[in-house]
Amino acid sequence: MTATLMESGAVVERADVARPTFAAVLRAEWVKLRTVRSTWWTLVATFVLGAGLTTLICWGNADWLASPEADESPGSFITWGMMIAQITAVVLGALVVTTEYGTGMIRTTFAAVPARGRVLAAKSLLVVALLGVVGTVTAFVGYAGGNYFLDREGIGMSMSGDVLRSMYGSGLYLAGIGLFTIAVGFLLRHTAGTISIVLALMLILGNMVNLIPGAFGEWVTKLMPGNAGSPISTPVSFNPNLFDAWTGFAVFCLEIAVLLVAAYVVVKRRDA
Amino acid sequence: MIRAHALTKRFPAGKGETRTAVDAIDFVVEPGRVTGFLGPNGAGKSTTMRMILGLDAPTSGTVSVNGHRYADSPAPLREIGALLDAHAIHPGRSARDHLRWLAASNGIPTTRVGEVLDLVGLESVAGQRAGRFSLGMGQRLGIAAAMLGDPPVVVLDEPVNGLDPEGIRWVRTFARQLADEGRTVFISSHLMSEMALMADHLLVIGRGQILADCSMTEFMSDHATSYVRVKAPALGDAATLLGGRGLDVSRVDDEIRVVGLDAAAIGDTLFRHGLAVHELTLVRSSLEDAFMTLTADSVEYHAMTEGAAR
Ligand SMILES: Nc1ncnc2c1ncn2[C@@H]1O[C@H](COP(=O)(O)OP(=O)(O)OP(=O)(O)O)[C@@H](O)[C@H]1O
Ligand SMILES: [Mg+2]
Repeated sequence: MTATLMESGAVVERADVARPTFAAVLRAEWVKLRTVRSTWWTLVATFVLGAGLTTLICWGNADWLASPEADESPGSFITWGMMIAQITAVVLGALVVTTEYGTGMIRTTFAAVPARGRVLAAKSLLVVALLGVVGTVTAFVGYAGGNYFLDREGIGMSMSGDVLRSMYGSGLYLAGIGLFTIAVGFLLRHTAGTISIVLALMLILGNMVNLIPGAFGEWVTKLMPGNAGSPISTPVSFNPNLFDAWTGFAVFCLEIAVLLVAAYVVVKRRDA
Repeated sequence: MIRAHALTKRFPAGKGETRTAVDAIDFVVEPGRVTGFLGPNGAGKSTTMRMILGLDAPTSGTVSVNGHRYADSPAPLREIGALLDAHAIHPGRSARDHLRWLAASNGIPTTRVGEVLDLVGLESVAGQRAGRFSLGMGQRLGIAAAMLGDPPVVVLDEPVNGLDPEGIRWVRTFARQLADEGRTVFISSHLMSEMALMADHLLVIGRGQILADCSMTEFMSDHATSYVRVKAPALGDAATLLGGRGLDVSRVDDEIRVVGLDAAAIGDTLFRHGLAVHELTLVRSSLEDAFMTLTADSVEYHAMTEGAAR
């Protein structure tokens, strides 16, 4: 493709200029991401909340879990902090998108990269990678801290099987949540709206649908994104009626895919 | 070169109705000169510019940049540089980082970031968070961003809005320089006085329609009317006499206004007929007046003050 370009004061036709490649868009989005403090704050918060609260909850519950009256498994506690850390994943996913709409910078972005799908893809990829890594590391550190107290009571868990799966599962779950929020962010374009809707869906509605009676209620509960996605992040779920880890995660991924497609279609059509 | 053909944009205005922001306009913005895009608030300037940049999809019609749709551009930032809104910057990111991501998105070397910062005189504050920037600094950063790809087409939406005289002069010189380099320069404004100093060509828009598309000089001679104010003790006699010579004479309060003859000739004529003259002044209506007259019917928001309610 040729382009009319300006070179040292003269307009020239050049055939060798490439469209902004996906790699270029990815690099641009990475510069954006790392040059605002909110990215680092949310990641640090994810780590501190995730690893810290897991350690704290294991310290507090270790002797009860080791006693005969315990009716929960230690496996439900070893990644407990992730339930709270998911909030910061939502915040990161939202900010990456909605601050651009809030400031109007999205117009600069789409003027520089008219292929809007690439912007959506680049943001998604970066958030997935960041949250995947940070989530997994957080889970490992939380395990190290929490298992120290469980070990002291003789109920420590070895790093294998479902425990190991829940480590990278935590990374996968946070990455999924970040992606889910990115899609919602592109649809809603509003920071507070995006964060509150996703959090309400994950934390409040996910539990409230439990109250719907019968098999219908059971299915709705299973299918809620938080309920479907979270079992992968824990060796033993508190709620035994949910999908098992990989089935649930597949359902969660499907829900994310639907939202992403919707976001893509809307962003492509809508005036920026 | 920017070319619009039957370009139209309608926005939904509630209750199933639509509001036509840009109404089937045709225009060409030529390279090598500064084209001023002039119109009152809500005339459709920003909407037109967003359509040029492929941000808003036209309801109908087309607009092309260098012969093709902007979205099909092989290298967007190298083809057209735009300043749409100087506030549209993340307040927590530094000016340099803002330019860095933009450069990266189009594979423009990072060295160019330093160059454009120099170009607009922001190098000393490039590391500061953009949220701390004054309005003028924000405008400069926006212009730096527009120049990143060294583009042959530059589009600036109200670049002097809120600038001090020094800043305005800078933008004016800068625009002139860009046009002299052979670039297409398209600048919007709602102030005629500003455009008169900056633009070679004028595109006047009102209520989404093109009201004038002509050179600045043409616009001046066509629209900036002038007349000679005559005050005389025998005003009626003077009016009859001058009117009898085929001149356009109108009587306003205690003066008459004569169009079609210069002050000296009018004075001589009155003198030859023994009429005393107390005042003889050439009055030029300003370009601002001409612009106001032209767009009078298309102003969307009239202020309800005595001055504006005429
Ligand atoms: N996104 C939108 N949705 C609905 N109406 C819009 C939208 N954008 C612009 N309009 C309407 O279109 C018309 C033209 O607006 P536009 O912003 O293009 O004017 P303008 O010439 O840039 O004015 P100003 O000098 O105030 O910047 C206005 O009546 C405005 O209300
Ligand atoms: Mg405008």
